Amino acid sequence: MAPYDDWNKLDEEEEDELQDTSHLESRRDVILFCIDCSPSMHALHPDPTYADLESSHVYSALEAAMQICKRKVVVGPADSVGIMLFNTTARNEGGVTGVSEIKKNNFVYQPISQISAPKVQELMQLLDAAREDPTYLSKTFPPLEGKRVPLGDVFTSCNWVLRDGAPKTASKRVFLITDCDDPHPGPAGSRLLLSAQTTLLDLTQAGTTVEPFFISTEEKEFDPGKFYSQILLPSSSLEEQDDEESTLPSSLSITRIEDLISQMRIYEVPKRALFSLGLKLADGFVLGVKGYGLVTEQKKGAYKYFVDLGDRMEVAESKAAYVDEDQQTEIDKPKIMFGMDLGATGADEDGDGEEEGGAELGYGARVVKAGSRVFYTAEEVREFRTMGLEPGIKLLGFKDRSELTFEDNTRHSTFIYPDEMKYSGSKRTFSALLKSMVKKKKFGLVLVLLKRNSSPVFCAMLPQIEKPDETGWIEPSGFHLIPLPFADDIRAAPIEEAFRAGEEVKEAARAWIKKLSVKNGAYPPDSYPNPALAYHNAQLEASAFREEYDPESFEDMTLPKVDMIHKRAGDLLKEWKRALRNDESANSHIVTTGSKRKADVSVDEAEIRSKHEADALGKLRVDQLKEFLKAKSLPVSGRKDDLIARVVDWLETHR
Amino acid sequence: MVAERAGYTVTMFLVDISPTMGKTRTVQLPDGPGGEPRSTEMTNLEWALQFIFNGRKTDQCGVIVFGSEDTDNVINEKNGGYEHVSEYIPIGQPNANTLAQLSALEPSEITGDPIDALIVGVETQHRYLSSKKTWTRKMILVTDGENPIEIEDWEAIVKKMNAFDVRLTIIGVDFDDEELPFHEEDKSQIKHANETFFHTFTSSLTTGLVGNCALALIETTRPDIKTTKSALMGTTLRMGDPETRDEEAVVICVKASKATAMARPKGWKRFALRSRVNEEGEGDRMDVDEEEGGGEKKEVFAQLKMRTEYVIDTHEAEDDEGASDDKVKVEDPDEEDDSQEEKKRAEHLEKVEKEQLQRGFKYGQTYVLCPDGFERLRTRKGIDICGFFLAKNFRRELPMSEVSYIWADPSSPSEQVALSSIVQAMYEKGVMAIARWVSRDGMDPKMGVLHPVVFDKVDCLLWVQMPFADDIRKYSFASLDNLINKNGEPITKHPYIPTEEQQEAMDNFVDAMDLMYAGEKDEEGNRGPWFDPRLSYNPAIHRTKQALFHSAVVSDLTTNPLPPPHPELLKYFEPPKKVVKRARGAVEECKTLFKVKEVPKRVIRPRKDGHVRARDEDEDMLLLDNMPRTTPSPQKNQPLASTSSQQLTPSKKKPVVQDSDTETEDEDESNLLLDKKGPPRTRTRPDFLPTPAPDSPSSSSQQLQRLSISDRGRAPGRIVGTTYPLEDFRQNIKEGDLVTKAVEDLGFVIGEIVMKPFTERRTGELLDCLKEMRDVSLKEDEIDAWNDFLQELKDNCLSDPGNPDFWNEVTKLGRSISLISKPEAAKHGGKSSISENLATKFIES
Repeated sequence: MAPYDDWNKLDEEEEDELQDTSHLESRRDVILFCIDCSPSMHALHPDPTYADLESSHVYSALEAAMQICKRKVVVGPADSVGIMLFNTTARNEGGVTGVSEIKKNNFVYQPISQISAPKVQELMQLLDAAREDPTYLSKTFPPLEGKRVPLGDVFTSCNWVLRDGAPKTASKRVFLITDCDDPHPGPAGSRLLLSAQTTLLDLTQAGTTVEPFFISTEEKEFDPGKFYSQILLPSSSLEEQDDEESTLPSSLSITRIEDLISQMRIYEVPKRALFSLGLKLADGFVLGVKGYGLVTEQKKGAYKYFVDLGDRMEVAESKAAYVDEDQQTEIDKPKIMFGMDLGATGADEDGDGEEEGGAELGYGARVVKAGSRVFYTAEEVREFRTMGLEPGIKLLGFKDRSELTFEDNTRHSTFIYPDEMKYSGSKRTFSALLKSMVKKKKFGLVLVLLKRNSSPVFCAMLPQIEKPDETGWIEPSGFHLIPLPFADDIRAAPIEEAFRAGEEVKEAARAWIKKLSVKNGAYPPDSYPNPALAYHNAQLEASAFREEYDPESFEDMTLPKVDMIHKRAGDLLKEWKRALRNDESANSHIVTTGSKRKADVSVDEAEIRSKHEADALGKLRVDQLKEFLKAKSLPVSGRKDDLIARVVDWLETHR
Repeated sequence: MVAERAGYTVTMFLVDISPTMGKTRTVQLPDGPGGEPRSTEMTNLEWALQFIFNGRKTDQCGVIVFGSEDTDNVINEKNGGYEHVSEYIPIGQPNANTLAQLSALEPSEITGDPIDALIVGVETQHRYLSSKKTWTRKMILVTDGENPIEIEDWEAIVKKMNAFDVRLTIIGVDFDDEELPFHEEDKSQIKHANETFFHTFTSSLTTGLVGNCALALIETTRPDIKTTKSALMGTTLRMGDPETRDEEAVVICVKASKATAMARPKGWKRFALRSRVNEEGEGDRMDVDEEEGGGEKKEVFAQLKMRTEYVIDTHEAEDDEGASDDKVKVEDPDEEDDSQEEKKRAEHLEKVEKEQLQRGFKYGQTYVLCPDGFERLRTRKGIDICGFFLAKNFRRELPMSEVSYIWADPSSPSEQVALSSIVQAMYEKGVMAIARWVSRDGMDPKMGVLHPVVFDKVDCLLWVQMPFADDIRKYSFASLDNLINKNGEPITKHPYIPTEEQQEAMDNFVDAMDLMYAGEKDEEGNRGPWFDPRLSYNPAIHRTKQALFHSAVVSDLTTNPLPPPHPELLKYFEPPKKVVKRARGAVEECKTLFKVKEVPKRVIRPRKDGHVRARDEDEDMLLLDNMPRTTPSPQKNQPLASTSSQQLTPSKKKPVVQDSDTETEDEDESNLLLDKKGPPRTRTRPDFLPTPAPDSPSSSSQQLQRLSISDRGRAPGRIVGTTYPLEDFRQNIKEGDLVTKAVEDLGFVIGEIVMKPFTERRTGELLDCLKEMRDVSLKEDEIDAWNDFLQELKDNCLSDPGNPDFWNEVTKLGRSISLISKPEAAKHGGKSSISENLATKFIES
């Protein structure tokens, strides 16, 4: 766990905070699932995944909620979730803790609380029961027949549930799941519409966002124009409400029930900006941008340290303190100064008894004339890093796209998008810049200081225009800021010369590479869930549920599809290996120069193999064994027996 | 030249301390805080000594002085002669003592001979290194060349130095130098002759150099790249399954080495002034060493060590109030932002021993103990190729790591040919490989791509890590181009969509700012692109290094502050001048056409129920731009009450940044980034009302009221005027939304009035203002603001021109008007760094 004041630490690892967005992730997120339980939502239909089963929209919605819980708990363990159902006759019989009151025909299945194993399990049991008996859900949460609860009541209930359960500062969202595009037809409609508008506004004012998930089926397409477009505050149009041409919210998600989970996953983590800065194109020509981390390494949850207090477990936090070891005193932060480690003070050898011998003062102590200052304040140290710049992005000019090489990379990129609220006119300017750069195949070179305590870095500003991918997901328009390495970060190639392949081997390699190339693909991040993370989380979940974990059930999606490789290119690979054996250069020997002192340690694999078959590996010298192991990138530590064991191991696995 | 190995060098410094080195010179310092030029006087010796302590810490060095009263050197001991040359610091690793000794050096009364010193230096170094033949020998002679030199037999010395491969650098004070350029007027005959001699001398050496001291000092700050030779890490490149189908699987022994590796600034060590009087907590620095008498006072700075403690928060168990808030709050380590909370926590923090701790994880609210961790995924070391794809489809924004080279085993021709064939084939086909890398058996796998590189004489692959599905965030953003109106029809004309005219202006701008031909000219006179990462030094690294060394060398940073950074560090900080000039027209056109304007920062007020919109999540989507700003209704927010009654509502901690402006969401955001202050600041929470609040009549009347009181001597941007400051202040406090700003502005106004002539008649009014301001500051946690303000007021009053009379009036109010002290602040749940003692003294003196 991060020590207390990690944040103000001025250490080497400080640079890391540039990439570390965990402090933003640590902001709590609250989701209230708000699921319609009308008869049509309860209606059974063939299950989308299991052919012989039947399920309902309610089932799918609850399952999606359960999946989101399971995912959220590992991404943001402090996040809270609640589940509310509406259009049901189920009632909260006064027993639900944390919920004061609720409108009729709304039902709180799980009040807002931090995700925990028992709550997730409760949901899983409910779903299991519904699997056994498809009518279980409609029995447990009987649908309200013949009429619908006013949507305004639903929003009011949401507001209450959130008010009671959600921490004040969290980002709060309601995931509204319904299949009814016109809940209030008829004469009373306009009044109910108005009340829905007002209550939704209340909800919004309390800091809650409503993310609708509308279920559309082939028989019944969901038409948001009937009702919802009038009440849902279209996010982007709000700012120009008086504008006649207000736009529809872009985030409206109308989905088939099968895609509900994948749709929700997009909203799983609330969209949070990492920074809001000025993008200075020239003096007096600045626009506002916000930055988002679209690529960030998701790590395993950190270890926590617990203390058993008898009645309960408590998390221990680590706290860093700075002490003068010699005097055993803790030093307050404002008194800490910064300087160079000058090594041990060492005994004062000329010691003419003038002052305390250096050794008495303790390691690294420095004696100075009273009143003189030889160390810097934290503020000064910060300035050495920022070079006195204020946070911002400054354009230096444009270069050809081809100048941005593969090897100029050190870490992940950041995405920027115009911020109209900071500088009006940002969007059109940003948009025009983007188009120009795409047209001219340019990237921008920018100097970036992200925060007051980071250091400036040069970035390539790479334009991206909006384009839908095959899954229907739309890559947004914007710029990627790719940090470029400094001269200090670049290392020269340590090897300048080696044997090269002749034409024949190369052609042989081309043949199998061709067979194993995907036509129009690229690197597909979506196909590679992090196996180590998933394995860890699966065990954590099992452990939290007090279940036995079965490692056999785990499937690593990143393993190469070897069968496919052999099937497609096996023969070609064989051919390549043959060509390799015949290659002239491959059979040459490297003449080692200058090491006359060393005995000849080279032993070829065939020799080792024959020795092994004759069970005479022991006859080889240690240095020969080591040489062989080194060539196979295996460790060379240990005694001769260990080395032999390792060689045998290798020989037996590499026939 | 043989590569130097760190830690295997002995540098001898030969320092001239003849009387002429005592000549003082004026040294320019960086401009002062107000931009005024500053300079200081120091002796040539002091000045030149700055050059010395500038090597690697692990290098060894020795110091020999010449021109010393005594004689103490190895040759003299044995053979006599070589007088006035003394071994001042024996060879060893430099440490804090070395510095103290160096700074104690003073010019003597006697002259010494640099050649003598050189011979002694060579001999001393040689004896030290007699058994370490491979070490690098360096010699640095620092002199002003003002004293006669006996130059007979100098060729013999050259011979000997060449034989030992000693590298000599002569650093001359005010030596003529064409590179700088520098030419000393009225140079003495002796110095002229000596300079000529030094040039002859060094040019006969294999490695010898004469340099001007000023240039040498600048050059010490020139960024240099520490060349790190990357280690070659052995691994295996695989394709297919060698275990079952070896005859058709690829297995190549390869070595990986870093192509990019982030270098970081050198670390700072922490120090603190050591005080004798520890019992009282606040030791008095002036007392240190007083009783020792004998010369000047000394202070000791101790180097600090970090100690990690584990604490638990017992708060939750004892405190049941506001359970609904609490139950999550306790889980959050970031809550400490809030001062009250922090104090509370501090009270409840209980130290625990490391042995008591058990490792585990949290699954939401559920604890999962697992002392040994979970089983790791079983993996096998190596790089497995999964497939190939066209390089043109590679998305450059996805790589997330440093880049590595993958080389074939340098000792095996067949492996080299094998890799070479794959690299070349990939290169020709224009493909990259998708691969999975496990660095050691059992380590977590990483996915990435392999990119073929064909160098002049060798082929290799470059690896970079790519994101897993888990690492990609899919946030949806509003389309920039495809705007749709309510009726679902696309919109083509909109303020968000650039017009053709605007687009054209931008095209011109992009062309004008092109850097492809803005760089230096090459041999043929053609300009290349401007900016090359290989020449872009990390300013933080080199500036930090410069600062570290400077603080180690100088005896006082106040009189001898850090010189400006080397220009090489800043060369890419501004676009090339030519380009800026060329783009001027295009920029002006863009400015006129795009009309980008900064939106005035908005004023924020709290919500009654404390629920706030979470920051960051694109509030812009909900913000109103053109709507009239709603003024808060009085009954909706009672800030004075809220801090005291809602103990659990975190109160705001004053940001340390000097934000002279209203608190805004943006500043909040930057503070968030800066300070890791997650939790709320009640009063500064943005609250966005999409429509006027229900009580709009009252708010509009207030708006009117605001207008009517507009001309009250308020400076632009100030909400408190000079005419009726107290009234303005109270009004703002009552409305409650701008406390920080009101306090700040009142302080500003008071300061302004006090410093004007003839203000006695307003003294009473101003004192009332002070009382009120202090009261509000204390209750509203504007403590730092008050303390800063009062200090400044005092300083201003007591300086000249000032208003000592007014300050005198202030002191009559006594302790109750002084700085807000720690205990006082604590009573109101705030924080202060001022001790009670200081607060009392402050108002007395």
